[in-house]
Amino acid sequence: MKFFTTFRKKSPWILHYNAGSCNGCDIEILASLAPKFDLERFGVINTGNPKQSDIFLVTGPVTYRSRERLVELYTQIPEPKVVVAVGSCTATGGVFRGMVNTEDGIDRYIPVDVYVPGCASSPQLIIDGLVKALEILEAKSKEIEKPFKLFGAIETIGNKLSRLNMAKKVHNDEN
Amino acid sequence: MKKTIQIPLGSQHISLLEPIRFKFECENERIIGVDADVGFVHRGVELACTRSFEFKQVGYVVARVCGLCAITHSLSYTLAVEKLLGYVANDRIKYLRMLMVELDRIHSHMLCLAHTAENAGFEALFMQIMGDRELVMEVQEAISGNRVQFDYISIGGVNRDLTSDLCDLIRKNLTILSEKMEILTGLFDNNWSLSLKYKGVGVLSLEDAYTYNALGPLARASGLATDVRAETSDFPYEALGYTMILESTGDIHARNFVRLREIVNSITMCQNIVDNLPIGEIQEKVKGKPKGEDIIRIEAPRGELFYLVRGNGTNMLERVRIKTPTFSGIPAMMEVFKGSQYADAPAILASFDPCMSCTAK
Amino acid sequence: MTKIETTLPTLLSDIEAFYKPKEWHFLSVNGIDLGEGKIELQWIFSKYGVKDEVVIYYALSDYETPIPSVLALIPSSIMGEREIVDMFGLTVEGAQKGLYLDEDSLQHPLRGEE
Repeated sequence: MKFFTTFRKKSPWILHYNAGSCNGCDIEILASLAPKFDLERFGVINTGNPKQSDIFLVTGPVTYRSRERLVELYTQIPEPKVVVAVGSCTATGGVFRGMVNTEDGIDRYIPVDVYVPGCASSPQLIIDGLVKALEILEAKSKEIEKPFKLFGAIETIGNKLSRLNMAKKVHNDEN
Repeated sequence: MKKTIQIPLGSQHISLLEPIRFKFECENERIIGVDADVGFVHRGVELACTRSFEFKQVGYVVARVCGLCAITHSLSYTLAVEKLLGYVANDRIKYLRMLMVELDRIHSHMLCLAHTAENAGFEALFMQIMGDRELVMEVQEAISGNRVQFDYISIGGVNRDLTSDLCDLIRKNLTILSEKMEILTGLFDNNWSLSLKYKGVGVLSLEDAYTYNALGPLARASGLATDVRAETSDFPYEALGYTMILESTGDIHARNFVRLREIVNSITMCQNIVDNLPIGEIQEKVKGKPKGEDIIRIEAPRGELFYLVRGNGTNMLERVRIKTPTFSGIPAMMEVFKGSQYADAPAILASFDPCMSCTAK
Repeated sequence: MTKIETTLPTLLSDIEAFYKPKEWHFLSVNGIDLGEGKIELQWIFSKYGVKDEVVIYYALSDYETPIPSVLALIPSSIMGEREIVDMFGLTVEGAQKGLYLDEDSLQHPLRGEE
C-alpha cells in the first residue's frame, strides 16, 4: 500500500465535469494543462474515467439535470478522493444564484475540499488549488492506510490472519 | 434482418468539454441515426434577465451565458439597449468593441482547432496551438484585466481605454501569431495522419446546409455565403479589411481551414483597428429607460448570435430572447453524423465547436 | 426589421409562400408573454447577402391553443419549437417536452407571473 501512496501523490489524475458553468472555467482548466502554465509538471493528467481518477474538478452551480450525474460521478471515484470546486458559481451559485434551474453551489450535494474563487478562475488560481488538493489527498491517503484496531486476540489459521474468526468472536462477545 | 446497436456518447466524456449526450444508432461501425440531449446546463438566464436584474446589470449577466463568446453576448445586449435608448456610439467606442470581438474570435477559433486536433489523436498539436493561443490571452488580459470573463463593454461605451503601450503589445503579439499561423496552416494542410482523419470525413453538403439553416464556419465550409458581419451595418467591417472566407468541400478539413483563414483575417483587422484608432471619449452618459422592441445580430465565433430585447419604460425588461449559434446549428450537426464512422464521432463533434452553455442558456 | 402580422390558421400557408431555403435564413421561433394569458409568437427570418433585412412573422395566441408546426417546411425549426413547448408550456404539433426541462416537469418558467 505504501507503493500506491507514494505514487498517488506524484501523479494525481483529474476528472473534470461541467455542472452548468459558462465554459469560462473549463477553458481555463484546459489552458492550465497547456504549455504556458503546464499543470502536467505535477504529474496531472486529464482523464475521462471516474474509476481512475483521484481529483474531481467541478465547475458550475449545479443545474437541475446535472446533479444526478454529479453525485454518480462522485460515488464512482475510488477513495481517497478530493473535490475541487473551480469558480465562484461553484462555491456559492455566483451570478446564477437563485435562477430557476440552479442549485446554488455544489456543496449541497457532495463534500468539497478546496474552493477556487474567481469568475473565471485564472490558471494560477487553479494550479494553486490543485497543489492544495494534493496535500489533502496525501493526508487522506494516510488516514485510509492507518491500521485499524481489532478487538480481542489475534486468530490465525495456519500462518494467515483470519479476520472472519476475529469478527465472529466480537459478535459473540456483544451478545 | 438488419441489427442495430445503440452507443451513447456523454454526458461526461473525455472528448467533451461540456455535458451533451448523444445516442448513436449504429449499424456495425456506421452511424445511421442520432439523438441528442442538450439541456444539461440549462440555468434559466433568460428568465433572470427579466425578473431579478435591472437593465443596466443584464449586460454582465448575459456575458455568463458563455465564457468563450462572452464579449459578443454583452455586446449584442448592449447594442440592443442602446438602440432602444436612441444612443449611437462614437467611432472610438465602435473600434474598441470590434477589437475585442475579433480578439475573442481568434482565441475561440484556436481553442477549437486545438480541440479538434486532440480528438483526432494529435496531442502534440493540441499543446502547440494552446501555447500559441496564450499570445492572444495575454493581449486580452492586458486590455481588459481578465483572461476570459472580461466585462469590457457597458452601456454607453467601454470600461478601459487603449494606451500606446497596449497598442505596441498588440502589434508585437499579433505579428508573432501571424507567423505561427503560417506554420499551422502548413501543418493542417500537409500532415498525412491529420488528413486521414479530416479529409472527406463528416461532410455537410451545400444542399443540406441550405435545408438545415447551417450557420457560421459550418456553413461557410460548405460554400454557403452567410456571415452576419457582411449582413449588418452596425460596424464598419468592410473598411477594416474584412473578407468572407469560403470553402467548398464541407468536411472537417474545410471547417478547420475556414477557421485558420478567419484567424488570419481577424489578425489583419485587429492590426488595422490599432493603426487607425480614432480619437474620442470611451464612455458617454446614456439617459432614459428602454422602451419598445429591437433586434440585434452579431457574428459570434460560432455563427450568428441574435438578441431580441423588449422594454416597457421601466428598469426591468419585458423579454430578452437569446438565440445562440449552436442552438440553431444542432439540426445540421445531427445530419452530418449520419453515415460516418463511429470512431470519427469525437473529431466531427469537435469540428463543429459546439457550445452547450450557449445552447442551453 | 419588418413585422408582418399573421394568424395561427393561416400561418403555414403564409410561410410556405414566403420561405425559400436558398434566399432566407430561418433564425428561430420566439415567444413573448404579454400577460393575462396572451402570448405573442414570432417566426424570424433573415435574408442571405443583404444588409439588415430581417422579417418577423408574428401571431397572437393563448396558452391553450395548439400551434401549427413549421417543421415540414423548415427542418431546423425543431429546436425553437421544442424550446417554446418547454418554456411556455404550449402545445406544438410533433414537438415533445424535454429539451431543457425534465419530460414530466410541470414548470413553464417564461409564462408571466400568475
